[in-house]
Amino acid sequence: MKKRTMLAAIGGALAGLLMLGQACVAADLKIGIMVPTTGSEATAGKDMENAMKLAVSEINDAGGVLGMQIVTITGDDACDPQQATAAASKLVSSDVTAVVGGYCSGATLPTLKIYGDAGIPMVIPAANSTKLITANPGNAFQINSTGFDQVNTAVDLFKKKGVKRLAIIHQGDGYSEDLARLTREKWTGMGNEVVAYEVVNKGEQDQSALVTRIKSKRPDAVFWTAYYADGAMVIKQLRQAGYRKLIAVGDGSNSPKLLEIAGRAAEGVYCFSNPTVEYLPAAKTFADNYRKTFKQNPDAYAALAYDGMKLMADAITRAGTTDKKAIIKALAETRDFQGIAGPISFTDKNTLAKSNFVILVAKGGKWTLYQ
Amino acid sequence: MSNLDIFLQQLANGLILGSFYALVALGYTMVYGIIKLLNFAHGDLYMVGSFVGFLILSAISGLLGDSWAAILCSMVLSMLAVGLLGVLIQRVAYQPMLSAPRLSILITALAVSMVLSNTVMALTNGEYKAFITDLGYDGVDIGNVFVTYTQIVLVVSAAFLMVVLYLFVHKTLYGKAMRAIAIDQDACRLMGINVNRVIALTFFIGSALATAAGVMAGVYYGSIHFAMGFVIGLKAFTAAVIGGIGSIPGAMLGGLVLGLLEAFGTQIPAIGTEWKDVFSFGILILLLIFKPTGLLGKTEIERM
Repeated sequence: MKKRTMLAAIGGALAGLLMLGQACVAADLKIGIMVPTTGSEATAGKDMENAMKLAVSEINDAGGVLGMQIVTITGDDACDPQQATAAASKLVSSDVTAVVGGYCSGATLPTLKIYGDAGIPMVIPAANSTKLITANPGNAFQINSTGFDQVNTAVDLFKKKGVKRLAIIHQGDGYSEDLARLTREKWTGMGNEVVAYEVVNKGEQDQSALVTRIKSKRPDAVFWTAYYADGAMVIKQLRQAGYRKLIAVGDGSNSPKLLEIAGRAAEGVYCFSNPTVEYLPAAKTFADNYRKTFKQNPDAYAALAYDGMKLMADAITRAGTTDKKAIIKALAETRDFQGIAGPISFTDKNTLAKSNFVILVAKGGKWTLYQ
Repeated sequence: MSNLDIFLQQLANGLILGSFYALVALGYTMVYGIIKLLNFAHGDLYMVGSFVGFLILSAISGLLGDSWAAILCSMVLSMLAVGLLGVLIQRVAYQPMLSAPRLSILITALAVSMVLSNTVMALTNGEYKAFITDLGYDGVDIGNVFVTYTQIVLVVSAAFLMVVLYLFVHKTLYGKAMRAIAIDQDACRLMGINVNRVIALTFFIGSALATAAGVMAGVYYGSIHFAMGFVIGLKAFTAAVIGGIGSIPGAMLGGLVLGLLEAFGTQIPAIGTEWKDVFSFGILILLLIFKPTGLLGKTEIERM
């Protein structure tokens, strides 16, 4: 038994060497993957790495890019700024042509300059802090929508639903307050009314006073910008108090747990969400392949990671060369690249021209894609 | 909604919230009255009661469905179970400390509180559990105030429990013994009263009432969490102090006052809902400064 294992190991190593040799002969294109494969966010990072490798194997099977096969090198940023810097330096010194990656905004931020100095084109699939926009030296392209996009998605829905009087509730933490404030600015800027702008304490069970206060302002829609656990209770108590109009929640409330806690009260609640695989009809083949290859379900950012790698390969093909400047130019000129998470075009700030935020609606105890 | 409607609706909100506070405050006040212990683990018993009720309800819902009967059944069973847990805690953690300085037993109570909440945290991985009951959103409009049947049932059951407790304390022999022990433990011992048994009974009743409130909160709010006992524990303590700690009618009154105060406090324009806790603890401070005995408390006169 032991002998056999050893033989298998030697065989595997030989095969690996052989493949490496072959790859070297074929003159490859090196693309760096930067995701956290260790640390607290490792699950998300590995999921993205899987998705990107799946994209690479599809591209290679179809003949590669400019006649070259893609090989990937993974740099582990561990969702930590220091380790991200080390990972980025490693990728730069391994002479990668391009980089796809960036999950945690805090870890991605310091790497922008490193890749920027080396002139390496980068596609960021997940990280989306608004700081990334200002710190971008011009080589990085974000294919995940920003907080501004979520606000636009929200405001569009409210407009479409004929909302005039909006109530916003947040929890006073950075994320929910930011979303609430941006929404209020945008909504009032459009000449509409925010009739209630409330803060609630985290973990508070009884929201009856808040609900009465909100109901008395007669809003056409209530927008909850914080997380699912308390959101479920607010939704439940709003409905119990007889509020029958529109309720919407931000992406922090995108959880099946919200529907479980709020029960029937959640029926018809809207939720703004990143394009996760389960809600994307175009991602069905991808999801099936992913399950087949990795024996697990694709997670939140799998679709965007996959799109990121495909987009990079497409840009290199369009550039017709591995010259980094030409690739950056090609990326900037991307027009309606058909990703599984939606079409990609960029603004002059290298963010998505058209947000890929999707709207979900609770139906029969499940989140389903709206429209 | 007119201003009158808002007033009436907040009145209803305050009464409902207040009856929860009162139920929990009763346990606080009874334990304090009898052994002069501020039982800081009381809020956690409320939380444990909620989880036990949840477990029992999930176990029997196959048999009885999500009906009121099932809820009532799980409430009674969990009151028994957590009541016994309260007695156990008293035996293990408090009994040996009864003759020690007051501060030692207070710290023990804090330790018990941590043990309870952390145990539940470990068991549930700190997750929220959905307390699902398929109670409707139907209700009645009283004037322009909308009250659901669930709310009415909860307030009525809370009132029922309080009345039963009041009758128990004032009309039965055990109740009489409790009141006597509250005045002078040693004299009661000399009179042949089984003091330990009465203390155990007090813990049982207090814990059972907290459990009743916990299960009601679970049914009403629909979600339970290991940390839910902390704030309500503080609020119940405040309610007990407002009413005069040690006094049973005081705890009921204090709970209602607190509930109403929070409901109306949040209605003040320019001050949002996040100020709710400021009102309750602000009044606690004011009361401690100006009337430390609480609304219904009596000044204790020590006779030599």
